[in-house]
Amino acid sequence: MAWFSDRHFFLLAVVVYGLSMIYSVFLWRKGFRKDDHVNYFLLLAAFALHTVAMFKRGFSVNHCPINNLYEATLFIAWGIVAACLALGWLPFLRFLGAFASPVLFAIGVFALMPALDPPHGPQPEFSGALISLHAATIMLAYGAFGLGAAAAGMFLTQQHDLKFHKLRAVLSLLPPIQRLDIVTSRLVLAGLVLFTIGLAAGGHLPRPADAVYWTDPKVLWSIFMWAIYLALMVGHRAFPQSGRRFALGVIIAFAFLLLTFWGTNLLSTLHHP
Amino acid sequence: MNLVVIGLSHHASPVEFRERFAFDEAKIPGALQSLRTAGIADEAVVLSTCNRVEIYAATALAPARAFAELKQFLTRWAQAPADADPGGKRSEFEGLSPRLVEPGDELYTLAEPESLRHLFKVACGLDSMVLGETEILGQLKKAYDLAFQHRHTGSRLNKAFQRAFHVAKHVRTETRIQRGSVSVASVAVELAEKIFSSLSGRDVLVIGAGETSEKTARALLSRGARRIVVANRSYDRAVALATELGGRAVSFDNCDAEFQKIDIAVSSTSSPQPILNRARLEPLMKARQQRPLLLIDIAVPRDIDPEVNFLENVYLYNIDDLQAIADEYLSLRRREVARCEQIIAEKVKALLDNTAGQKPAGDVLRAACCVKHPNSLEGA
Repeated sequence: MAWFSDRHFFLLAVVVYGLSMIYSVFLWRKGFRKDDHVNYFLLLAAFALHTVAMFKRGFSVNHCPINNLYEATLFIAWGIVAACLALGWLPFLRFLGAFASPVLFAIGVFALMPALDPPHGPQPEFSGALISLHAATIMLAYGAFGLGAAAAGMFLTQQHDLKFHKLRAVLSLLPPIQRLDIVTSRLVLAGLVLFTIGLAAGGHLPRPADAVYWTDPKVLWSIFMWAIYLALMVGHRAFPQSGRRFALGVIIAFAFLLLTFWGTNLLSTLHHP
Repeated sequence: MNLVVIGLSHHASPVEFRERFAFDEAKIPGALQSLRTAGIADEAVVLSTCNRVEIYAATALAPARAFAELKQFLTRWAQAPADADPGGKRSEFEGLSPRLVEPGDELYTLAEPESLRHLFKVACGLDSMVLGETEILGQLKKAYDLAFQHRHTGSRLNKAFQRAFHVAKHVRTETRIQRGSVSVASVAVELAEKIFSSLSGRDVLVIGAGETSEKTARALLSRGARRIVVANRSYDRAVALATELGGRAVSFDNCDAEFQKIDIAVSSTSSPQPILNRARLEPLMKARQQRPLLLIDIAVPRDIDPEVNFLENVYLYNIDDLQAIADEYLSLRRREVARCEQIIAEKVKALLDNTAGQKPAGDVLRAACCVKHPNSLEGA
């Protein structure tokens, strides 16, 4: 229907992410004992609606839909849920979705703020192959960091339960903590690689004559985030058994990223002229 | 043709009584032949395990008479000399002086449909000492195979047993009756599998040579643990246990060095004081670069100071913790019993309906007569 726009589809997707989040609380209270497929199918339904939203937006602007902040945020969330569904095909990683759904719901709510999606002008805000590479890899990096934070959350939950002899440590279907540590570090590493590629691409983009690259808030913030994640990986390599501290670091880093991303973007003259 | 069962189990008879009726596997075919030659059963299967001795028989005799004959058979079997050849005729048992008590209340006898229900329950582990255990299914299959190979089963028992195996699989899939571990040793293994990605390549230190720690070590080995190191105050006992487990023994006073290499330690000494505390373990954890360490303390009084659990990457579980998990699993299994019995009831009905539909008219009439007048045929 004509009045049912891409934003409506995305709104429906966010509602389903919210339902998934509520159901995840139920799973958590049950101690993750039940390998049920309800949450997986909720995420699958949300993913379908989300994909429709992105396709509709892409067809309406005749571009890959990473043209403004709203679309970029959609892309991040889409990357996270796609990875959840792919990884969740393996039964021992299915609960990743339960930890990712609150993140997806939060990202979705933020994305729906009207200020993030101004009407498209004659030219998209982002265009060109290099900028597409920059935007896509950065968004995928954020997605990987987000999923890493979800896996870190699973690690901390399971580790806490084992330490304090909670019955659900054994009765739950969460994977072993060593495996969760490996999954977290691989996701963060993947995110760091993508982030590096994205930043390198961004460094070669044409910039306005009056813009001072190295003092731009978004550039400084990006370098800071890159350094944080690099430090986390180096620290984890040097002290491989500091699983708990690494997991906490990954969660705090992603929380900081989520809370400061939009603010720095709005302050950046390169990203918000 | 009626399917009946007669037997003794751990529910009502102690092992010293049960063992008198146990069947040696090599002698079962002969026993089955005797049953059929004597006209007691047309088809028969003998199930003899450490917790039960049962005879499943398809017989044309009325249930009451069949039970009497089977009871007599069992009694004679128990009284027969160990070297008697049971493959001969019934007369072989005559003349032997009864020296053992005949089974009384210990014996249970069941006719259809209870016999079928019992068979399905046994296959599903619902009648086992450990609710939901899976070993009994393998034993039942073996008993059936033995009878089948020696041509002592026919359409009746074949159908019943095949259906029992199917029901066991169905129950295992549809319910949680077999989920989790209900022994301390198995719970320890589950805990290890919640910490380590895989148990293969893991080394285990056993401190003290008690029965439970031995069982735990064996359980870990069965799941892929690589090496067992045994430390005990008595070095000879450590060597003996290590040899049994395929590992090596170390001196009790020098087992600190082993902590650098191992991933799991199981402790059950008779020491009145803790043998491992935080002060002793902290430098050992640094030496092993803080790799995760699972400590299972089965001893009472405890061998390991609870403060140790506050060290990073150390997970300490004592006997109460393990028993609480085992009890929770048992409780979960008990909650599944009603559902299992409902499934079994449905399957028994389906089998009986199927069998009745296939019976010749004469058999149907005879069965109807038995139900109304169980003692109307030849006297017991």
